[in-house]
Amino acid sequence: MKSIVIDPITRLEGHGKIHLFVNDDGSLANCYFQVPELRGFEKFCQGRPVEEMCRITTRICGVCPDAHHMAAAKAADAVYGATLPSAAVKLRNLVYNAFYAGDHTTHFYALGGPDFVCGPDAPAAERNILGVIAKVGIEAGKKVIAQRARGQRVIEIIGGKKVHPVTALPGGMSKRVTKAEQEEMIKIGGEMVEFAKFTLKVLDDVVLANKAYVDLILSDAYAHKTYNMGLVDENNKVNFYEGKVRVVGPDGKEHCKYEPKDYLEYVAEHVEPHSYLKYPYLKKIGWKGFVDGVDSGVYKASPLSRLNVSDGMATPLAQAEYERFYETLTKDKSGKTMVNATLATHWARVVELVYACEATLKLAQDDEITSDKIHNPPKGIVGEGVGIVEAPRGTLTHHYKTDQKGIVTEANLIVGTTNNNAPITMSIKRAAEGLIKKGTKVTDGILNRIEMAFRAYDPCFGCATHSLPGEMPLEVIVHDAESGEVVQTARQHC
Amino acid sequence: MLKPVLILCLGNEVLSDDGFGAEVARRLIEAGGLGEEIEALFAPLAGFNLLDLLQARRRVLIVDTICTGKAPPGTLHLFSADILVPSRNLTTSHQISLPTALELGRQMGMLMPERIDVLAVEAEDVTTLSETMTPRVSQAVSEAVDQIRIWIDGIYVVSSCR
Repeated sequence: MKSIVIDPITRLEGHGKIHLFVNDDGSLANCYFQVPELRGFEKFCQGRPVEEMCRITTRICGVCPDAHHMAAAKAADAVYGATLPSAAVKLRNLVYNAFYAGDHTTHFYALGGPDFVCGPDAPAAERNILGVIAKVGIEAGKKVIAQRARGQRVIEIIGGKKVHPVTALPGGMSKRVTKAEQEEMIKIGGEMVEFAKFTLKVLDDVVLANKAYVDLILSDAYAHKTYNMGLVDENNKVNFYEGKVRVVGPDGKEHCKYEPKDYLEYVAEHVEPHSYLKYPYLKKIGWKGFVDGVDSGVYKASPLSRLNVSDGMATPLAQAEYERFYETLTKDKSGKTMVNATLATHWARVVELVYACEATLKLAQDDEITSDKIHNPPKGIVGEGVGIVEAPRGTLTHHYKTDQKGIVTEANLIVGTTNNNAPITMSIKRAAEGLIKKGTKVTDGILNRIEMAFRAYDPCFGCATHSLPGEMPLEVIVHDAESGEVVQTARQHC
Repeated sequence: MLKPVLILCLGNEVLSDDGFGAEVARRLIEAGGLGEEIEALFAPLAGFNLLDLLQARRRVLIVDTICTGKAPPGTLHLFSADILVPSRNLTTSHQISLPTALELGRQMGMLMPERIDVLAVEAEDVTTLSETMTPRVSQAVSEAVDQIRIWIDGIYVVSSCR
């Protein structure tokens, strides 16, 4: 065995890269980001039974396995024309909200939060979860760890396995819940709601009480007036698992509201010559480039957009926080005025965290979840199905076509982050324009300000790859716009 | 009772060479004879989720893929996890690195392993969805299993010298 030196940067090909092209006069000509994407999804699916997809697709994303499980399960329901017993729908909603409660906790405390809890100008070495804990205390850290464990326990009870659930079947669920398990989940739900209240206090004390941070959230540098997308229930309240997809413009007007099966009538994908990324846009408005406004088909799908498309939250604490969010940011608590500040996404995520915790408790208290009737075996086959859920980082679409035996012949995915490829590009550009000039040395602070725009979307790229060191560093590469020559490279861990 | 020594094989069975850990774990478990103190398992997990698995273990060997770009695919690297640096910042998403997870665990008062070593194979392709590894990485599985047995012997040599 050969011995070689391992650099701290161990995953050279795994980097997210932001390319900035700077003109001679110092202005920014163009920018785009580049990330490794998984290849071969459709080929991989072909020939497999569609009911297997909800178990396999949990592995294509190490971050939102539950979201893929649910979207694939819903698509398989549709392929078989199956309708679910009410108890099965409640169980799916329950496990999904518990997953959200854990996932949003991770982002707020470990990933997005450091910018605010530690501050955007804090030394890079402190701007991580360890820095957050240093600021808010070890006890808070223990609460975060406990909250994650609660979410995982609910997934284990209902989903059959921690992290990667295996329970959904076309037409329902495969694992019943006992009375004892229900009692345990009621206890967990109650603890989750207490944690949500604690998080609201952290948000208040550390972020909202600091005027500089609120000003940063509201600054134009991080604002985009794009369309917003998200699932809503029959009352236009935020729903992560089911409902119709609603799209609302930056002017607050509804653009469309559609059933998942109709998504191709409303969404199309643009391809840029410089990138293999796809940029979804609203078909009826059209692709007008990386620009915002009502005439551009660019939309975002994120916690912020979900709040923007909704008329409120279905639980009381979350509704109160929703009203405070809009009152603070738009002076109108109804939510009819759109919030376009990208960094407000972090606050929107906390509103959703509160909702997920309350919904977990409410659903756990529903005695119907211990029903024996959790599966309606399918009686026929339609041969095509679309399943849409809200992944924590955006609307997630699974679409399968099958033969008459339910074997997949075609597959298409639009994952949460992909929806946001265009707004992420725009946010990076907006942030970079103010910071990068020709000859500017890209310092760690500048790098972080650009990354903050990117990080607000909680992006998820090529995330099934678990290769060491288990994260994906980011490079910023400054090019001469004319020659394409690399002028400077800045990278984390350097 | 948790076994004090863990061979923790990481990866993703449906992502080409990232299936290396799963295959190594399968071979180790099937062959058996690891000893009463040693457990081998495969987990398609990373970041925070590793904390539960590492807690209350004394020695851990992580088996994973790596992309240094400095060695041919299939090359095995054995090194201490100490040389991986904690995350200075968290750019992309959801995962925290192994060193950050370890430091977090220690700060939270969890009992973290005395020492963690890493046996990583240089991967060729970890972005194509496939249940088949590339040939050179697949061929390295047997050598990895041999290296793991040598690593295990090393623990006991060290222990008996104390």
